[in-house]
Amino acid sequence: MAITGASTGVTPDRTRALRSTASGGGKKRRRLSQPPGLPWILPALILSVGLLYYCIGYTGVISTWNWDGVSPNPQSVGLNNYIQVFQDPVFWDAIEHTVIFFVVTFVIQTFLGLLFATLLHSKIRLAVVYKVIIFVPVVLAPAIMAPVFRQLFAPDGQFNWVLAHVGLGFLQQPWIGQTSTSLAVVMSITIWEFTGVTFILYFAAMGQIDQSVLEAARIDGASNWRTLTSIIWPGVRGTTVALGVLSAIGALKTFDVPWLVTSQGGPVYSTEFLGTYIYRITIPLDRVGYGAAISIILLVVAVIMAIIIQRRGREREGSVD
Amino acid sequence: MLKSRMGRSVAVLAVVGMAALGLAGCSSSSSSTGSGSATSGTVNWWGWTPELATAKSYIAAFNKVYPKIKVNYKQVTIADWEAALRPALASSSGPDVFDIQPGAYVTEFKSFAQDLTPVIKKSLGSNWQSKVSPIGTSGLTSDGKLTALSVGSTYAGTLWLNKGLFDKYNLTPPKTLAQWASDCKTFKANGVGCFVQGASQEGFNQDTLQSIADSVEPGLWTKMSTGAAKWTDPGMVKTLTIWKELFTDNIMQPGAIGYAQYPDANNDFLTGKYAMVMMGTWYMQYATTSGMTAGISAAGVAGAKPFPIIPIAFPDVAGAGHAGYHMYGDSDYGLAVASKSKNEAASDTFVSWLTTSKAGQQVVGNVLDDIPALNGISPDFNTISMPDKSVQQAPVQALIKTVGTVSEAREALLSSGVQTAILAASTSVASGQATPAAAAATLQAAAVASGESFK
Repeated sequence: MAITGASTGVTPDRTRALRSTASGGGKKRRRLSQPPGLPWILPALILSVGLLYYCIGYTGVISTWNWDGVSPNPQSVGLNNYIQVFQDPVFWDAIEHTVIFFVVTFVIQTFLGLLFATLLHSKIRLAVVYKVIIFVPVVLAPAIMAPVFRQLFAPDGQFNWVLAHVGLGFLQQPWIGQTSTSLAVVMSITIWEFTGVTFILYFAAMGQIDQSVLEAARIDGASNWRTLTSIIWPGVRGTTVALGVLSAIGALKTFDVPWLVTSQGGPVYSTEFLGTYIYRITIPLDRVGYGAAISIILLVVAVIMAIIIQRRGREREGSVD
Repeated sequence: MLKSRMGRSVAVLAVVGMAALGLAGCSSSSSSTGSGSATSGTVNWWGWTPELATAKSYIAAFNKVYPKIKVNYKQVTIADWEAALRPALASSSGPDVFDIQPGAYVTEFKSFAQDLTPVIKKSLGSNWQSKVSPIGTSGLTSDGKLTALSVGSTYAGTLWLNKGLFDKYNLTPPKTLAQWASDCKTFKANGVGCFVQGASQEGFNQDTLQSIADSVEPGLWTKMSTGAAKWTDPGMVKTLTIWKELFTDNIMQPGAIGYAQYPDANNDFLTGKYAMVMMGTWYMQYATTSGMTAGISAAGVAGAKPFPIIPIAFPDVAGAGHAGYHMYGDSDYGLAVASKSKNEAASDTFVSWLTTSKAGQQVVGNVLDDIPALNGISPDFNTISMPDKSVQQAPVQALIKTVGTVSEAREALLSSGVQTAILAASTSVASGQATPAAAAATLQAAAVASGESFK
């Protein structure tokens, strides 16, 4: 024990305290002495608790004001802003778009990510090249890609040109400039952007699946499809749940693509999301209090979504076991 | 592993140190009361207008008179204006001089700007009001404070045409809605774009609607803006109906409501893809050789070849007998001096020179971007070069003469809430999601909600 103490620098008192904790009898003594890690996490704790939660609290306070962000005398209006939010049709449009966006992008990204991961786990040549190609969109900044996509989907853009040249000319239309297709454009850009993330995570998760189980399945004569649905899919459940939470929160936070590609949430609010709405209300329209109320609602929705998805993920795990 | 006592002390010191740094960063630096020298120093100027090349020419001319004042111009697009300026002006490292335009911006930014009445008095004397354009002053004054000195005014109510394309297909500038639609048919049949507008941006939809309203009933738009008439007035419903016809008659290009006026529509027109665009007197700068060359290369086309463009009155789309020019405008922008500026005296010198001196205003006039605010200054066409003066100079001079008597406001009377509602009304009618009557009703409700009071 003494040798251990010298090499780790732990004082004899501490060693005794730790040993007695293990036996359960030294709890009182342990509480009196400071928890060993606190001074080291204190700076990060101050930053996160101080900055983050203070800001959230301050936003909550602002949400009860009628304020333009600069005047020195904000007017307190209680919960009036929240009542107005729930009666605001654009807010409900934004919620509807967020839900559609989340469901569609999550399902398609999961499907594509799983597909690519499965394919690249098989023996194919130049696998690294394919991995890079699939992942590159993830590292490209949306603000850089936005003008490219605006050009691509413009009425005289490359997408319409391709449609015309493969015999689908009748499908040509102004994709960004009409309300029926603008949300689809936003969703397809997002899927292009983030399939790389789902792919990488599934690729890693599939690498963790016990090879012996897969071999046993092969010996028993399971088809590829059966292997995928009965062994691989349940085996990557944890990844799916995590991606679900990330997708949900990403859907709530989405801003760059609808703002930059489809003209700031248009046309006619057809790609309005909570992020774009909050930004527009707060900055050009100076309704800082109202924007803060929507922000708090967004926070509550995000927390609820995260809890629900986590719970469902855990429930399923429990039932499988 | 550190011995626990020393480790703890180090940690506590680290925390205290970080907190001190944080507090120091958060505390506002004491505002400097020194205003600096009036003939030397550095002035930082932020604006969405003029274009970079134009600003450089203003600064170069200024430096001939005041060589020791260095002016740095930073162009911030109007779409990013509020987001960039408000935090910058609230901090102590914002611009010394910044643009303000009449209307919503005056309300938003007046608390950051100094009252410039003493500056203009010093330059032009106590009867300064008679020496400058009155709409330049009234649009930029709020609660008795002259928030900015107008550089020049700008007016809308025109269309600009690519003369070459019209001549090529033997078409005359449209005077009615029917002629406009048939001109567009001819252009389309020949694979050329007809009319381009970025109908996703509020300001230009507002201009087009105001022009249509002036054709339906001159003066109605001003009445609705001031509450003397409601936005549900039958004239407004007719205006929105004609607006919708621009889309159904295939005058507006497909996907217009997803297009931006700047840069999309502007670039398309300057690169010759479309024959017509709805722009105002600020577009006169592109009638000059240097202005158009700069504009075309900014649109990303190498080897720019300038072509002649001419202004025409907005067509009489209502056919109610109100043909001809119906212009409306305000001060295009004024220069404000930030209250937190540490180079106040030098900033005052620059602002005063550009807006009230004959030399400064002549430079402004010659660029043909703004109509100078100082009375008695007109562009010197002998020094201005155009791609084809024989077809361009006369219409441009006629336009400048027409706007000299304009009193109808463009931006000054509308709050940001009403402007948002105008955008929603125009795009919902254009996309077919609302009938003109329903859109007018929604616009009226939004105007009431944003504080406009009606008789």
